[in-house]
Amino acid sequence: MTRSSTPSTASRTSSSSHPSPSHPPFTAADDLPSESASAHHASPDPPRRGRGWGTAGFSVGATLALIVALTAFAEVGSRAGWWNDHVLPAPSVIFTELGVLLTERQFWIDAQRTGIEVAASIVFGCLLGFAAGLLFWKVPLLGRVFEPYLVSFYAVPLVLFYPVMIVLVGINAMSVIILATIMAAIPMALNTAVGLNQMPPVYLKLARSLRTSPRQTLFAIAIPAAGPFIVAGLRLAVVYALIGTIAMEFTTAQAGLGYRIRYLYEIFDNIGMFAYIVVVLVLSCLLTVALAAVGRVLLRGRNS
Amino acid sequence: MTATAPAPAPTEADRPVKRRFSWRAVIGSQFVGASLLAVLVLIVWEVVSGLTFVIPSPVRTLGVLVENLSDPAYLFDLRVTAQAVALAFVVGTAVGGGIGLLLGLSARLRLIFEPMIIMLNGIPKIVLYPVLLPIFSLSGSKVVMGVLFALFPVLINVSTGVQEIPKVYWKLARSVRVNPWQMLVHIIFPAIRRPLLTGIRLAVSLAVVGVVLSEFFATRRGLGRVVLQAYSHGDYPSMVATIMLLITISFGISIALWQWEKRIH
Repeated sequence: MTRSSTPSTASRTSSSSHPSPSHPPFTAADDLPSESASAHHASPDPPRRGRGWGTAGFSVGATLALIVALTAFAEVGSRAGWWNDHVLPAPSVIFTELGVLLTERQFWIDAQRTGIEVAASIVFGCLLGFAAGLLFWKVPLLGRVFEPYLVSFYAVPLVLFYPVMIVLVGINAMSVIILATIMAAIPMALNTAVGLNQMPPVYLKLARSLRTSPRQTLFAIAIPAAGPFIVAGLRLAVVYALIGTIAMEFTTAQAGLGYRIRYLYEIFDNIGMFAYIVVVLVLSCLLTVALAAVGRVLLRGRNS
Repeated sequence: MTATAPAPAPTEADRPVKRRFSWRAVIGSQFVGASLLAVLVLIVWEVVSGLTFVIPSPVRTLGVLVENLSDPAYLFDLRVTAQAVALAFVVGTAVGGGIGLLLGLSARLRLIFEPMIIMLNGIPKIVLYPVLLPIFSLSGSKVVMGVLFALFPVLINVSTGVQEIPKVYWKLARSVRVNPWQMLVHIIFPAIRRPLLTGIRLAVSLAVVGVVLSEFFATRRGLGRVVLQAYSHGDYPSMVATIMLLITISFGISIALWQWEKRIH
């Protein structure tokens, strides 16, 4: 399982400004002294931290500027008639509609449905994935047997099983939750297993020599050691739960934000549809930002 | 159907094992274990299909699939989907690779665009499909959707891969005065081949998912439409057969690429 490079990709994806946990050692001999010197030296540390905050601020500013610029472009373009109004309505029109939407009961029913589905699949998916990852670590044979399936269902092909699921379970929240849970569990399981497998053997030797109980070994040694991988898995699990839920609702459902977008498309309510799309986009962006913050808090003080 | 799924694995995984002619290695190998798991799943499927009438048995599914595959209309749908997936994959990999390369090479661009890309990667892209429809028409938008799905894993992996190229490679490049093309072909590509391959592997199955999900929504021809039509007619054997075909193909390709990926160091 250590060979699988998908999870390390996952963790790479997640770390924006900090070095990824699976930082490869430099192969060049002449680079080593300079690298270790700067790492051990005390003086470059404070300026680096200052620069880190500066770059983070710059990134945030640039992102906000990009979003504002795109919105302004859409507004100007649609006002000037560069494209037809039903291709992309002016953002001001969409936002007005959005304001109306937030007062409607229908919207909150849909949002609640999607929220419950996403939340349930995140919780179940993370627990299931973590348990599976632990099991794969404890029983390597099982890990090896399941690995090909986990690796190839890592991406979203499970969504394609949705029609089978609604035939089996019915068109309701349950069928969405089941599939989204599995989708969220897979990256979590893979990342947990890889994180635990890459733990240096000396950690477990220490645990043995201190005669820690199994519980202490797990909570005080194994989980912190695999921390960066588990957090990366968590982030992917949340993203996949959201993507899967919305995609499945979009395919066929009876309620939910994804379903409402499709419904409004089919009754040609273009502006309402765009308002719902904006809601979904904003929600997923907020979730991404929140996850980045949570990941940073959980892994605080680790980049030494 | 699941039994045929690991079929590409033996050709890839078994070869080095057989060369050594050690039976113990064969029995303990991942391929054997994974096949046993597939057989187990097949048995569970058979049992479940006996319990409920909506799920056809594995044998029946295979029969329906063979029947479908001799139907010219079905083959046409298959070809439409395959073409859309292939196009989406090629364009997505090229665009993703190009942008990833730029981001990997320029710290400034990375600073500006990286948070945006991470956010875009996290959004459920399928909701943009109704937006694409009036712009790219019915047959073009599913390709664009597939491109959007396939783009990000390649982009992110290439960008990270380029950033992690050891410094001495760049020094070497400067000291032998390579031109940009040689730089790309002889230094960057070999150095990032593993993350690139990971990205490509993810891109293949994501392109399939993007195209088929779009076909679920609205299209003229394609396997996604076949699935949804079979669903609304209550023709469950045909629906399950088509889904298993799609899953098996994307599973096979991604296992083959994964084995390849494991072999290069």
